[in-house]
Amino acid sequence: MNNAQIEIQLIASLVAMACAIPGTFLVLRKMAMISDAISHSILPGIVIGFFITQDLNSPLLLFLAAFTGIITVVLVEYIQKTGLVKEDTAIGLVFPILFSIGVILIAKNANDVHLDIDAVLLGELAFAPFDRLIWFGTDVGPKSLWLVGSILTVTILLLFAFFKELKVSTFDEGLSASLGFSPIIIHYGLMSVSSVTTVGAFEAVGAILVVALMIAPAASAYLLTTNLKKMLILAVVFGVFSAISGYWLAHFLDASIAGSITTMLGLVFLLVYLFAPSKGIIAVTYREKQQRTEVSLLTFLLHLKNHDELEERHVNHLREHINWQKVRAKSVLELALKNNMISIEKNIVSLTKKGDAFTSKAINYIITNEDAQIEDMKDDFFLFRG
Amino acid sequence: MDFTDYTFQVIAIGTAILGAVCGMLGSFAVLRKQSLLGDAISHAALPGIAIAFLITGTKDSNILLLGALVSGLVGTFWIRGIITKTHLKSDTALGLILSLFFGFGMLLLTFIQKQPNANQAGLDKYLFGQAATLLIEDVWLMAIVTCICLIVLLLFWKEFKLLLFDSDYTKTLGFNVKFIDILITSFIVLAIVLGLQTVGVVLMSAMLLAPAAAARQWTNSLGTMVFLAAIFGAFSGVFGTVISASQNNLSTGPVIVIVAGVFVIFSFIFSPSRGLLFKQIRFMKNRRDLELHKTLAFMYGIAETHQNISHPHTIKLLNHFQGFTKKTLKALEEKNYITISGTEWSLTQEGFKTASNLYNQQSNNDE
Repeated sequence: MNNAQIEIQLIASLVAMACAIPGTFLVLRKMAMISDAISHSILPGIVIGFFITQDLNSPLLLFLAAFTGIITVVLVEYIQKTGLVKEDTAIGLVFPILFSIGVILIAKNANDVHLDIDAVLLGELAFAPFDRLIWFGTDVGPKSLWLVGSILTVTILLLFAFFKELKVSTFDEGLSASLGFSPIIIHYGLMSVSSVTTVGAFEAVGAILVVALMIAPAASAYLLTTNLKKMLILAVVFGVFSAISGYWLAHFLDASIAGSITTMLGLVFLLVYLFAPSKGIIAVTYREKQQRTEVSLLTFLLHLKNHDELEERHVNHLREHINWQKVRAKSVLELALKNNMISIEKNIVSLTKKGDAFTSKAINYIITNEDAQIEDMKDDFFLFRG
Repeated sequence: MDFTDYTFQVIAIGTAILGAVCGMLGSFAVLRKQSLLGDAISHAALPGIAIAFLITGTKDSNILLLGALVSGLVGTFWIRGIITKTHLKSDTALGLILSLFFGFGMLLLTFIQKQPNANQAGLDKYLFGQAATLLIEDVWLMAIVTCICLIVLLLFWKEFKLLLFDSDYTKTLGFNVKFIDILITSFIVLAIVLGLQTVGVVLMSAMLLAPAAAARQWTNSLGTMVFLAAIFGAFSGVFGTVISASQNNLSTGPVIVIVAGVFVIFSFIFSPSRGLLFKQIRFMKNRRDLELHKTLAFMYGIAETHQNISHPHTIKLLNHFQGFTKKTLKALEEKNYITISGTEWSLTQEGFKTASNLYNQQSNNDE
């Protein structure tokens, strides 16, 4: 690894961290699409800032662009408040129009602006190390490294300072207002941090990757934990992992770094989505199947308890009366046997003592409308799950 | 600029058709609160284009759009999967699919650009669209798809309408909700894919939303809304094409979006029933009426204490009262509720009667 490679990975990792922190809160507050809107609509701010400053790294440009981001949020909220259209339509209208204005501004001034729309969308991380910051005549590193680094530092400081407020206002706006933390200030604070992060990161990684870096790590982390601190840490870890592995993927394929990082983020999310222990697709599908069988089992036990007649409790009758297919009836019967809920004598099924106790308790819960309790009860009674 | 120019005509017709079909289907997206789905799908279509090119090696727009269609549908159904199977919310699912698919698409595009294949240039026109590359065959394709859309819309009009406004009721009536849902979503995906070549991935969502959002302001009837949205869409397409053709260096996509945006802003402000302007005017009128009533009620309170209700009182009496202005006095006089002579006013018989009934009757809104 040469120096430039290390620097690129460092920048990418810092961007990933800076995005993951506000991203976590955006995902939790159901405002993920706002980050998409901001990332597009900062374009006119960047272009106008560039006309004025002629320098992509100037703080004024950063400020102007971040300001456009906040204007977007305000505009969306204003349109939503008029009640003319719903929130999602408001978002969908505002950012393409602002983005179009940016594109046209670039196109009309193509000769003066060394801004490429592709670069805005994708960024060019590979060139980041060549733009050095010279301080008192010494080379102290790439400019974007310093920019992203300072944004990250401020974000982390704000996170530690306002963690409690953020947490309360994210999960219970009413409580936070009654405790005296204004949800509005927290809201716009978060929006400002997201805007600044988006602007700071866009040059390095492009508008779309910012969205991916904000949402994907947080969404993956959310599938793995419901603890806010753990979620933040996991999101940062996923972001940094994707940044570094994405860089090497790009190196290997000779393709866009931003695209590769996004692809790695996608892979991480896909894996989590499939294999997350309790919320992954496989776990959910398995649990659904298990519960279907267990509900069938309960229905079956209730049927047995209701009928003393021999013919109602005959094995073959099961299929006729409860209308189950052969396979299902067999698996339910086996499950009940394994759990010592029933005994079969001469093809007549009867409840055992344990089965009877279980069924009575279940009926009790059902008639008192506490069906949820049955789930806990299963742990006490079942030796084997469905 | 030459309006009879063949290429210009093709492009104008193409964008008009595109605008119309997007407006029609966009109405459903807006009413179903799926506005951002369009944004997600259009981004999700990008890897499909790249993969179709990688497999076939041709730049035939039909094949590339087929790839876009497939990957757009995959994205749509993945979004559904995320929303229904996990506790992630729809905004997260949309943002995820949008950015992840787009990033993957860009990876493939940059990968293709590095390939030693002379044929590869120009794939990035799908990012922002290039109406100039529209051929007459593309326009035919759009026209055919639009016709199919229209037929399906008319055939399933009742079902779509029901599903839109009361999906549970639709279910109880025995319609296959899932099928109707998939049908309408697939057509939205189809419209988006059609627009990719002209407007591009990034701005396609506005093409879908803006005409529908504008049309929504003028009517409460679904049929009229779909019709109006189609017209707004078509006009945005044509105007956008004309404007971008008359200037150098203007790509058509962004201009069409801005024209559509102007339609939206105009509708937001000037629509008679919902528009902001008339809402403000109504608001002011109501406030004036209220002040008029307040003044009248106050006068009634004074006049009540006298035997002769038309006993004159000085205007100064009203000075500490907020509702009173010279204008309201004049308005009251015009309505023949009071008479003014010099600095004194007196209630007329009619005014007294109106004032005494002011808070009894309910139907005097338009005083």
